[in-house]
Amino acid sequence: MADAEGSKALSGLLNGIAQGRYYGNTEITEELLKTELYPELPQDEFRAVHDKMLGIIKSIVSADMDLNQIEAFLTAQTKKQGGITAEQSLVIAKFWKNHKKKIRESVINQSKWENTLKGLKWRIDVKSQSRHVDQVNSAAAIVEMEIGTKDKDSEFLCIELNETKMNEVLKKLSEVEEGLAALTQTG
Amino acid sequence: MTAVRSGHPYPTSSVTNNDRSSYLGPRIPPEVEGMTRHLKDLDKDVFRKILKAVVGALEGNDSSESVKVIQETTSVSEEQLSFVISGAYTLLRVAFRQSASTLKQEVFKEDLKELRIPADFIEDFANIVYGNRCPILEDAALRQGNRLPTVEDMRWRVDVAISTSSLSRALQPSILMQMKLSNGESHRFEVPVSKFQELRYNVALLLKEMNDLEKKNILKIQD
Repeated sequence: MADAEGSKALSGLLNGIAQGRYYGNTEITEELLKTELYPELPQDEFRAVHDKMLGIIKSIVSADMDLNQIEAFLTAQTKKQGGITAEQSLVIAKFWKNHKKKIRESVINQSKWENTLKGLKWRIDVKSQSRHVDQVNSAAAIVEMEIGTKDKDSEFLCIELNETKMNEVLKKLSEVEEGLAALTQTG
Repeated sequence: MTAVRSGHPYPTSSVTNNDRSSYLGPRIPPEVEGMTRHLKDLDKDVFRKILKAVVGALEGNDSSESVKVIQETTSVSEEQLSFVISGAYTLLRVAFRQSASTLKQEVFKEDLKELRIPADFIEDFANIVYGNRCPILEDAALRQGNRLPTVEDMRWRVDVAISTSSLSRALQPSILMQMKLSNGESHRFEVPVSKFQELRYNVALLLKEMNDLEKKNILKIQD
């Protein structure tokens, strides 16, 4: 197989594995990758390549390697018996460069079970009148928060806040912000 | 308003200013008219006691106990008591619906006089509407209005995930929030850092927009 073609197929395989494993794309199966990328390869040989690449990706993802780490890791892999070729190592390095951020995000989300804040919509109303009050004339913020987990339907929480409440909430959020900042500074 | 009054075939007796209809509306509510009939022979102290119970009801409290006490300790008949309570309730509720600046005290008193309410009782009504009880009652009216739940309390915690099943060193902060709402519900949810920034930005933006709104005059529409 020509190098360029082999690199292309490998790049496809790595992307396919990432799609299925980290991006929740269930349509991409091992069989599909085999028929699309390596049609002439016997099943057991394809399985070997697939598993080897999966193992490598898992190691890279688990350590969340930076540029230096991946270089050292791939060099070691090329020198290992039954390891990878230099061309393959280039393809893997390129793949990781493109996917590092997104895969990390997805992996972190995979370990979340709590309800998560997914979305936020708001509107400002001016209350004008009500049954017992002729002139209310105050601004009210209507906030809709989408809260849910990845597999369940979201719950939509609708709340109303006046300016005082809004100030209180903002104060709390500033405290959180300080907490976060303290963490990132020392870490 | 002039048109309404002039079109009325039977203008009410007193004609001090017939170009303005009563603050109660062009048609006086029947319970208010019913009350005036029963006020004539009512003792002043009893009347005050009744008013106290009515104000309690307007504040959103249960006044049935105080009404029972009035019934037991005074000579007022049940019928008379019912008429006075429901009339006074409507009279005050409608008065409170308008702000003190829209419904002037003189106008209010004049309207009550036209209803042939005795002068002493008019003073008592005016003291409630324009006295210092007013802010409490206005708050009660606002509370009784239709509204969505609001945030009562908010608690938070910043977590850092150290290690997970697929990531040896995650070191990823996230925020756990618990919001207690005014309807008693509690909601707990996690906020990823990126979403947190979005949330904070939007809350600050909302506050700014609300402030801007207050500066514009659309909140001060008066008729």
